Amino acid sequence: MDNLPKKNRKVSSFFAMFLVHKMQIGVGLLGFERVIAKNAGYDAWVSILITGFCVNIVIWMSFRMLHKDGNDLISIHKHLFGKWVGGGLSLYFIVYFVFLTITILRTYTEVIQIWLFPGINVPVLLIIFGLLVYSCVAGGFRIVAGIAFIGLLIGMPLLLLKYFPLQYANFSNLSPVLDHSVKDLLLSAKAVTLNFLGFELLLMYYPFLDEPRKAEKWAQIGTIFTTAVYLFSAFVSFAYYTQEELAHSIWATLTMWKIVDLPFVERFEYVGVSIWLFEIIPNVCLGVWAASRGVKRLFAVNQRKSLLFLLFIIILSCMLFQTRQGIDQLNTIVSQVGFWTVFIYIPALFVYYMIVDKVRKRSK
Amino acid sequence: MKFFKSEKKVPPLQHDTSIPYAEVPAKDFEELFKKFKASADFLSFQYPSEAAFTVSYFKSIVGPDQVHQEILPVLTQQHPSTLEEVKNGIPVENIIISNDLKVIQDAVMTGSVIIQINPDNSHCLLVPCASSEKRQISIPETEFSVVGPKEAFVESIETNINLIRKRLPVPELQMKEIKVGRISQTRIAVLYIDGIVDQENVQTVIQRISDIDYDAIVDISFIAQMIADNQNSVFPQFIDTERPDRAASGLSEGKVVIIVDGSPQILTGPTTITNFFTAFDDYFVTWHIASVFRLIRVFAVLFSIMSTAIYVAVTTYHYQSIPADLLPTLIASRGAVPFPPILEALVLEGTIELLREAGARLPTKVGQTIGIVGGIVIGTAAVQAGFVSNVLLMLTALAALASFTTPIYQISNTIRIIRFPFLLSAQLYGLLGVAICAAFFVCHLLKLTSLGRPYLEPIFPLRVKDLKDSFIRLPFSSQTQRPEILRTEYSSRMQPKPKEDSRDIDE
Repeated sequence: MDNLPKKNRKVSSFFAMFLVHKMQIGVGLLGFERVIAKNAGYDAWVSILITGFCVNIVIWMSFRMLHKDGNDLISIHKHLFGKWVGGGLSLYFIVYFVFLTITILRTYTEVIQIWLFPGINVPVLLIIFGLLVYSCVAGGFRIVAGIAFIGLLIGMPLLLLKYFPLQYANFSNLSPVLDHSVKDLLLSAKAVTLNFLGFELLLMYYPFLDEPRKAEKWAQIGTIFTTAVYLFSAFVSFAYYTQEELAHSIWATLTMWKIVDLPFVERFEYVGVSIWLFEIIPNVCLGVWAASRGVKRLFAVNQRKSLLFLLFIIILSCMLFQTRQGIDQLNTIVSQVGFWTVFIYIPALFVYYMIVDKVRKRSK
Repeated sequence: MKFFKSEKKVPPLQHDTSIPYAEVPAKDFEELFKKFKASADFLSFQYPSEAAFTVSYFKSIVGPDQVHQEILPVLTQQHPSTLEEVKNGIPVENIIISNDLKVIQDAVMTGSVIIQINPDNSHCLLVPCASSEKRQISIPETEFSVVGPKEAFVESIETNINLIRKRLPVPELQMKEIKVGRISQTRIAVLYIDGIVDQENVQTVIQRISDIDYDAIVDISFIAQMIADNQNSVFPQFIDTERPDRAASGLSEGKVVIIVDGSPQILTGPTTITNFFTAFDDYFVTWHIASVFRLIRVFAVLFSIMSTAIYVAVTTYHYQSIPADLLPTLIASRGAVPFPPILEALVLEGTIELLREAGARLPTKVGQTIGIVGGIVIGTAAVQAGFVSNVLLMLTALAALASFTTPIYQISNTIRIIRFPFLLSAQLYGLLGVAICAAFFVCHLLKLTSLGRPYLEPIFPLRVKDLKDSFIRLPFSSQTQRPEILRTEYSSRMQPKPKEDSRDIDE
C-alpha cells in the first residue's frame, strides 16, 4: 500500500539536523525581535527558551508516533481516523504547508521590495523563484536536502556580522532581568512560534531519513541549535537597540547590517539580502516538497504534477498580498495557525495515537 | 507532464547498406578482394613464382621489413606445400587460418598479410605484420609541472597502456577492450585495478561504451560526452588527463580509466568537482603548500566567475555600497565611459574571448603576437578612447587569468562560459540576480552525477573523511583510506604507523 522510498533516495540521519534547523532559520531571523519583545520586553529571551524547549518536546512526540508508524503523517492519519477523516486532516496539513511556503516567499519578496528594489516587478521575480524552486524540487528529496545544507553553509558566516553591533552593545538594556509576568513571557513565547515553525515537516520527510532512530537525536540537536541562534541574535539586538527603538524596527537584524563596516563594502544589507536568498530557497523548496509529497500520497498523482500545480497556486497567492498590512496579517495568521497546529494538534494527536495503540494492542 | 517530456521517436530500424561490413563484409571472397583491390595501396602478387603462393596486403599499414625478412624467405627456402606448413615456418605469433570473411577483413585492415595457395581458395593464412607510425613520448603540455615525471600520453593505445602498466606492475591491473564506431572501429580500453575498484563502476562504464552507436570515434572527448551522466551539462563529468602518473594514481585510488586509441588523453572517473581543482603536482610539494595552492585555485575560480558580474551589479544598482574611499577612483575611471556597465562588461569580456579564441587557433608564434597586440594595444587603446574603464579592464583581465589556474582544461572552458549567465543576471537584478544565478548553478551541481556518484561529493553528501584530499590536501600520513566516493572494495591504503619515539619531554 505505502511504498517507502528506496535506500538510494534517502539522506543520512544527521541531515535531520540541517533539515530541521534550516527550515526554522529563514526570513524570520531578519526581524523577529520586535514581535517577540512586544509583550515580554527584553525578557523575551526567556520566551525563546520556552518555545525552543516546547519544540523539543513536540519533536520527541512526533518521533514517537513516526517510529511506531514507520511512514509519515498521512499514514498516521489514515491509521487513526480512516480514509476520509484522516484524508481530510492530511489535506489540512497540505494547505498549512502551502501557507507556510507562501508566508516565507512573500515575506522575502517584501524584504527585497523594501531593501533592494522598491520598484521591482514582483510577479516576474516570483516566477523566477518558482522556476528555481521547481528545478530544485524536481531533483527529488536528496537535492532538497542538499540545497538546505548548502544554504546553511553559505548563511552561517553571516552570524559573524553580529560582531559589528556588539561593538556598540549596551548590555544594561537587558536589566532588570525577569520583571515581566509569566503571562507576558508565555504570550511572547507564542509570538516566537512562527520562527520555529517548519520542524513539523519532519512528519513528511521521515521516511526519507536513513536510520530514523539516530535521526531523532540530530533533529533535537538541530532545534537546540536554532534556539541558540535565535537567543544569540535576540541578545545582540536587545543590547544594541533600546526598547523604544526596537518597537519601531520592523527588520531589526537587517537594520543592524547597515552598520557593518568593511573596507571593501558599505551598506552591507544589499549583500546580506542577496545572500539571504540561500536561506529562503531551501525553506520554500522544503515546504513545496512536503506539500506536493502530501498531495502525491493522498491523491496518488505524480509528484511532478502536484509540484507544478502547487507552485502555480503559491506564486499566484503570493501576488495577492500587496501591502505591508496584508503581509503582516498573513504572518500573524500563519503564526496563530502554526501555533495551534504544532503545540495543540500534534500533542493531541500523540496522546490519541498512544491510546489507540494501547487499545488495539490489548484487543489483539 | 507531456509538455516537458520529449516524445521519444523511434525510427524503424534500417538496414544500413552503405557500411555493409558491420556484420557481413561481402557476399563472397571474390567481392571482398575486389573491394581491397580498388585501393591503390593494396598489393597482391604471386610468390616465389607464377602459380605459387599469393601474397597480398595493404602496403601502407604493413611493415615492409618484416614481410621481407620473416615471411617471404619462408616461402622460398622451406618450400611449404600447405598453409599449415607456412604457419609453422613463420616466426610470428597469432597467425590464423580462416575462411571467415569478417575475420579476414578485420585482419587485413589492421595490417595482416594474406597468404593463399590458390587465389580462388578462400582459405587464407593471416600473418599479423602491422606497422604503425607513432609519436615519441613527449613532455606534458596542457598539464605541465615543474617537478615530477615529464611523460605524457601519445596517440597509440599500446604505448599508453605501457606507460600505465610500468607504473603499476601488478596483475590486478586489468583491462577490457571494446571496439566502437561503425567506420572508425576505434579500440577503447577500460582499465581498473581488480580488488580495489567498485565493479559497479566498471560495469557502468563498459555498458555505456558498448551502447555507443556512432560512425567515427575520433577522439576521447567524443566518448567523454557520449557516456556522461548528463549530456546537457556544461560541467565535465570525467577528468581527462595526459599524465600517466595521474592516471596511475587514479587507478590506485579505485577509479576507472578509459583509453581511446588515437587520443593522447585518457579519462578517469567517477569524479567530483573538487578533482578539477587538483593539479597533480599538488602531491609533489608538501601538504601546506599544496593546500594553499588549492584554496587559491578555488578562490580564483569564484573570482573569475563573479567579479565582472559583481562589478555590473554594484555599478548599476548598488552604488551606495561602494566605500567612500574607493569612489573617487571609480568615478575617475568610469566617468568618461558612455556605456552602461553591462555593455562595457560585455564589450571587454567579448574582447578577451576573441583573444583567447584567436590565440588558440593560431600557431604559437603568431599567437604570442596576438596576445601582445590584443592584450596591451587594444586594452590601452580601449581605455584611452573612453570605451571601457580601467577598473573593469583590470577585473576582466584578472578574471581571465584566474580562469587559467584550473589544472584541467575542460573545466576552464566551463568557467569561461558560465560567467555570461552571471553577467546577464547581474544586469537584471543586481546582487540578487547574482545570487539567483548562483542558486541555479548550485541546484544543477547538486543534481549532477558522475557514473552515478554525486558530483559535489565531499560537500554534499557531506563526507568529512573525503575532505582530506579536496580543497585542502592533508599529509600522506593521514591519507590512509581511499576516497569514500569511489566505494572501493578495499579501502585501506596502508597500515597506520605505530607512534614514533616520543621526545624526552613527553616521557
